[in-house]
Amino acid sequence: MAGEPTTMVQRRIVIAAILCGMAFAVLGARLVDVTLLKAGTAGTASAAIRATLNRADMLDRNGELLARDLPVQDLYLEPYALPDKQTAARELASATGANEDRLQHVFASHDRPGDHVLVARQISPDAEDRLLQFGLPGLEFDPSTKRFYPKGRAAVQVVGQVDPDGHGLSGLELGLDQTLRRGEPAQLSLDLRIQFALAQEVEAARQQFEARGAGGIVLNVQTGEILAMASLPDEPSPGSDDINPNRNRMVRDVYELGSVFKIFAFALAVEDHTTRLDETIPIGRGFRLGRHLIGDAEKMPATLAARDVFAQSSNAGTAQIALRSGPLRQREFLSRLGLLDPVRSEDPEGAKPLYPHHWGQIETATVGFGHGISVSPLAFATAAAIIVNGGRRITPTFMKHPQDTRGAQVISPETSATMRQLLRYVVTDGTGKLADLPGYEIGGKTGSAEKAVGGRYVAHKLLTSFCAVFPIDNPRYLVFVLLDEPHGAKASGVMALAGHTAAPLAGRVIARIAPMLELPAKAPIVAQMGGNP
Amino acid sequence: MIRVVNFFCFAVTALACLALYHVSEQTRVARATLTAVDRQIVGERDATNVLQAEWARVADSARIETLAQTRLGLNQAPAVQLSSFALLPRRGDATASEESPLRPASVVVPATTGVAAPVRLAVARSGN
Repeated sequence: MAGEPTTMVQRRIVIAAILCGMAFAVLGARLVDVTLLKAGTAGTASAAIRATLNRADMLDRNGELLARDLPVQDLYLEPYALPDKQTAARELASATGANEDRLQHVFASHDRPGDHVLVARQISPDAEDRLLQFGLPGLEFDPSTKRFYPKGRAAVQVVGQVDPDGHGLSGLELGLDQTLRRGEPAQLSLDLRIQFALAQEVEAARQQFEARGAGGIVLNVQTGEILAMASLPDEPSPGSDDINPNRNRMVRDVYELGSVFKIFAFALAVEDHTTRLDETIPIGRGFRLGRHLIGDAEKMPATLAARDVFAQSSNAGTAQIALRSGPLRQREFLSRLGLLDPVRSEDPEGAKPLYPHHWGQIETATVGFGHGISVSPLAFATAAAIIVNGGRRITPTFMKHPQDTRGAQVISPETSATMRQLLRYVVTDGTGKLADLPGYEIGGKTGSAEKAVGGRYVAHKLLTSFCAVFPIDNPRYLVFVLLDEPHGAKASGVMALAGHTAAPLAGRVIARIAPMLELPAKAPIVAQMGGNP
Repeated sequence: MIRVVNFFCFAVTALACLALYHVSEQTRVARATLTAVDRQIVGERDATNVLQAEWARVADSARIETLAQTRLGLNQAPAVQLSSFALLPRRGDATASEESPLRPASVVVPATTGVAAPVRLAVARSGN
């Protein structure tokens, strides 16, 4: 057979064999492809279907839901298909809340085949059910999402808002926009229990003292976590028409906070050893600096020990102590505390502080007792936390981060300890007595600042605040509360000053939140109360 | 012989094609089932999300407080720590004496005491 020419049949057999071989090769290749190469990608399509929600959840530190995207529908319609446009417009308006006149207008102007109009966005499943019952032709539902805030107005200014397309507009919705849009849930430092207690007490005080506005912050002084932040009113309120309820005034606004700023003047004096706490400071009728006379709101004795200058909140005494440090040192010190820069946090709307361009002797004296410099309440609370936490820098954060994040030393631990004693002294023997709470040794400082209106300070328009720290021997939390234009009650002898308005408010807040924070009372409360018969 | 082999090959090829078609059809049906299950999962998950959000709204502290006050007539209880663990008597110890700092809670914190009560007491203690 060898060497004989191949016959036609043999060639066909070879071709058929080759075709069979190729068929088997293709089948084999496909088998390998399906069983080995694509085995792990079977779920890809289903995963794509699952990825319908486009913005991740926001949770509080205990996992409570603060914000979530829920499925809704955008409703489109082809007006050409409607037999009775007027009736359809009325039914659609009633079901979706859309404007009936607008619907009639767009139905009339888009009446050609193939024209589609948007009737309403983000309609709920209930509205969708009602629409389907009308039996209207030409309805088209486009799946969409809507940001839902199940806790209503709780922490509304902190959480912020999104636009209809799901882009962050304000607050943490704006600051964490990229993270949330990547689908990564954000667990915040906020504790809704603390938030509720703070907001409720602050609102009660706002109503009690008929204040225009009020606010509060609860800050962990070791981690920088913000556990609660309230800015009230958070909805339209009589007497506060000019206040934007969606604006987080604790972050976005700056205030001359007044005497709470004396914390920094004394911290600097103690740090630089320019003043002894038992040193006698002349007070009298005020302190004259050039052509200016720095006086006090209340009558003071001729002299006070330095610690009593702090406890009784004497402007005249504090001005003298501040001047011993000098303008350059004071400015550098406040800068190191972060008070001369916008506070940095996940909220991108931190306000820029206002302070004197020319920082001379007068400015040093006034800044010492909290006038002539305006900072946001969050910036103040952060700087005060540094003073009491052992003197180490912290960065305020709205994200859960329970680890100790204290950084570089700003003041010495000894100065911090002395300041804690001074703050405790204010509460036991000074202007902050009404903040005291048995079992929890609270330290704090009052601040009553006259507001500037038209370039002049107005005596009856006060901004009162109280900065409380507890437990004072090893502080963990700082509570800062603020009342905007509180009114005292002459009949009951309650004055509008911070010691009568903001200090008791801080005490009530701590009474509510300390058990939630699982802070053991240092001494048995029963013994301190003396025990009732 | 070659014809037999060829015939066998054709037969095997034809059977393989049939088997492939069968598997392909099974795959198509399975894919359709998978898609339906996926849609069901998405729907169920959406429903779960809605229910979780609804639960978060229903369990809101402000709402619970309002309901407790209006429907049950409850008021806020004073959040007061009555003692510390260190002062609690050990099992078998004698009952606290008159000198003991421990007192029955009912006589220390009246049921009607508001939240501000400890603050008022503290003020009285500090002599203000």
